[in-house]
Amino acid sequence: MANLFSGFSHSQASQSSASLASKLPPLPASPSLAQSIGMMGTADEALNAYQLPKPLPIWLNPAYARHIVKGNFMTLSARPKTVEEGEWVAHQVVEHYRNLWNFVRVIYEKEEDGKTLCNATTCPRMSAGANHSYTWLNSRFEPIELPAFEYITLMQRWISGKIDDTKMFPTEASGVSFSHNAQITTTALLNGPDEWVGKRSGFPHEFFGICQTIFLQMFRVYAHLYWAHFTEPFYHLNLEKQLNSCFSHFVLTATALDLLKPQELEPMQPLIDLWAANGTFPPESKAFAAANLKVGQRLLQLGGMA
Amino acid sequence: MNVSEFASPPEKRPESYGRNARYNQKRCFQVAQGFFKDAVRRARERNDRLKELERRLESPEVLLRREQLWGHSGKLEARYLRFLRTKEQLSNYSVVKTIGKGYFGEVKLVRKIQDGRVYALKRLFKSEMISKEQLPRVRAERDALAESDSEWVTKLFTTFQDNTSLYMLMEFCPGGDLMAILIKFQIFSEDITRFYAAEIVNAIEAIHNLGFIHRDIKPDNILLDRGGHIKLADFGLSKSFRKDHDSCYYQELLQRPTSQMSRLGNRNSVNIDAIQLTVSNRAQINEWRRSRRLMAYSSVGTPDYIAPELFYDQGYSFEIDWWSLGTIIYECLVGWPPFASENPQDTYRKIVNWQHTLFFPDDVQLSHNSVHLIRCMINSPEHRLGRNGVAEIKNHGFFAGVDFTTLRRIRAPFEPPLTSEVDTSCFPVDDLPQTEDPAPSLAGDDDSPTPEMFLPFIGYTFKRFEKSYS
Repeated sequence: MANLFSGFSHSQASQSSASLASKLPPLPASPSLAQSIGMMGTADEALNAYQLPKPLPIWLNPAYARHIVKGNFMTLSARPKTVEEGEWVAHQVVEHYRNLWNFVRVIYEKEEDGKTLCNATTCPRMSAGANHSYTWLNSRFEPIELPAFEYITLMQRWISGKIDDTKMFPTEASGVSFSHNAQITTTALLNGPDEWVGKRSGFPHEFFGICQTIFLQMFRVYAHLYWAHFTEPFYHLNLEKQLNSCFSHFVLTATALDLLKPQELEPMQPLIDLWAANGTFPPESKAFAAANLKVGQRLLQLGGMA
Repeated sequence: MNVSEFASPPEKRPESYGRNARYNQKRCFQVAQGFFKDAVRRARERNDRLKELERRLESPEVLLRREQLWGHSGKLEARYLRFLRTKEQLSNYSVVKTIGKGYFGEVKLVRKIQDGRVYALKRLFKSEMISKEQLPRVRAERDALAESDSEWVTKLFTTFQDNTSLYMLMEFCPGGDLMAILIKFQIFSEDITRFYAAEIVNAIEAIHNLGFIHRDIKPDNILLDRGGHIKLADFGLSKSFRKDHDSCYYQELLQRPTSQMSRLGNRNSVNIDAIQLTVSNRAQINEWRRSRRLMAYSSVGTPDYIAPELFYDQGYSFEIDWWSLGTIIYECLVGWPPFASENPQDTYRKIVNWQHTLFFPDDVQLSHNSVHLIRCMINSPEHRLGRNGVAEIKNHGFFAGVDFTTLRRIRAPFEPPLTSEVDTSCFPVDDLPQTEDPAPSLAGDDDSPTPEMFLPFIGYTFKRFEKSYS
């Protein structure tokens, strides 16, 4: 399914950096897979194009796509006006990583018999359904397939290596800055290669790119949790609403701050469609814009909730 | 297109999972719940701060300082975000001195290594908390302090934990406590007493407004800040709420055979048996005073300021704190608390028989108003002053002329003479061993957190947005 992407142009990658975008003319949002297909046909055709297993996964049933919180999550990820962008991105990365690990712990920690719920037998690949499996790069930069447990171990080591590195995520109270506001601050804003997200606050040049990669890795783990572990163990342990709330907050943050591109959401696209349709994603959110509303409404219909 | 139905949900089988999975389930459940609760609260507070900034930016007199205001606000928010991102642990702080010790833990004056700021760090031992069923109390203290933003309450900046201990990083009150100055001066003039009593009234009012009952107001919990103004501390650490200090414990104590000093079985003997704490037997008072500090550190604690209804199972309410204030006012004016005895057991007996044991020594000159106020506070709950709200206390003749709204702006009677920000001269640190105690552990030397040591404390962690904190 990944080769479906080849037909689209995603030249707006530079949009991910807001400070660069500020000097660029506004570009139309990149069409997501869902929208492009949605534009072409009916909801059922679009849903079919996702090549989902039949019957549909339980987490796409609107009855199990609910939350532990009500209201507009967007306020939780919207950058406060005075806060410098890099500072806010760093905060969100750390919070979402803590949230994700809260769920990973359940499948990752050893039981008294020494077994983990996610292991090489249950999950021989880092997969998100039959059509997606993620590879890790070995020391020769070759992609290798790994059991999900190993993949998550490497992911955890890599992300915490970044987050705990005070050169990458500075923690010195004295190094802070604030956001530029054309009506108030007179500090000239440099644009171009000498300016980057977080520069004023002491974050390194590669900071934003690293954060995008962290979000991509975290997304893959969420996708694996839904595709491989939603029932075993989260549904059985009555944690599905908690998982839904943290993941929908994650998607809202990732899209709002350009940490994930709409097309990177692919294996979870139908759930995103559903959340756009059931009101989890407010219409003004970028997550909503990345969804195919028709598919979401069709899923609501199938679940008897439309 | 043929979309079939959704996979049918299997029957839930939470019990089929192992012990660790079920433990992680609870933890996951609580952490997720706590995350959203905190995140929503922080977003709301952030929004309030932004509105306040915008309001200030519109005012014409800040026209030239708008950029400064904006930048300052952005930096404060950023510092708080960095603080939230940083893992709090003991090694972030260097210990200056141990300034207090209690049964459940200790208080140390510490310096944050990163920025050199000074705090009081309270450490509570998890094993003691669990074995003495203190968890609800600790939780109550954390909640009370976390929610309070009052100048009358010691500020809690953050809480964190490791395998053996809970930590509360608090504002350091360099002036010591009211007990220390009572020990030093023995007796206060009525004016000085009025000042402290009025400040304590405001402080109790502040915590009552938050919906909390302190339940353990006593001179050792009344701290003095840099300027000598009071702040309430110790919500829940207090010994008086230990399981073995609950009503059953008191009942049992009361049924024990009477000590030699006190035979309350005979009402006529009260005045004979009660220690005749008058100016004439200073030796006895001094003995009592010397033992006060030791008593404060012991597991038993002093019951001197506790209202009688707390000893019974009949329930109690906000007015118990006003009883305690009455006993403190008495102590300030007379030199010892009204029910002082040689041992806690006798104090209990006197408190429950307060109608017969409360008396004012002849050789201490007290104004009519002060005696009247004390008698109105050391009174049965249904007649106690304060049960109808704080106004009836503020309006009492004893407080005539006091402006309760400007108290903190006037100069305190005793301003701590401090030479540095880590000056501990107001603390009796000489009595305290300065060596590092290992935390008592339930499970030996095992370093891995056991569910028992972690689960009850989830949600304990807290970080405050504070302008003066970085």
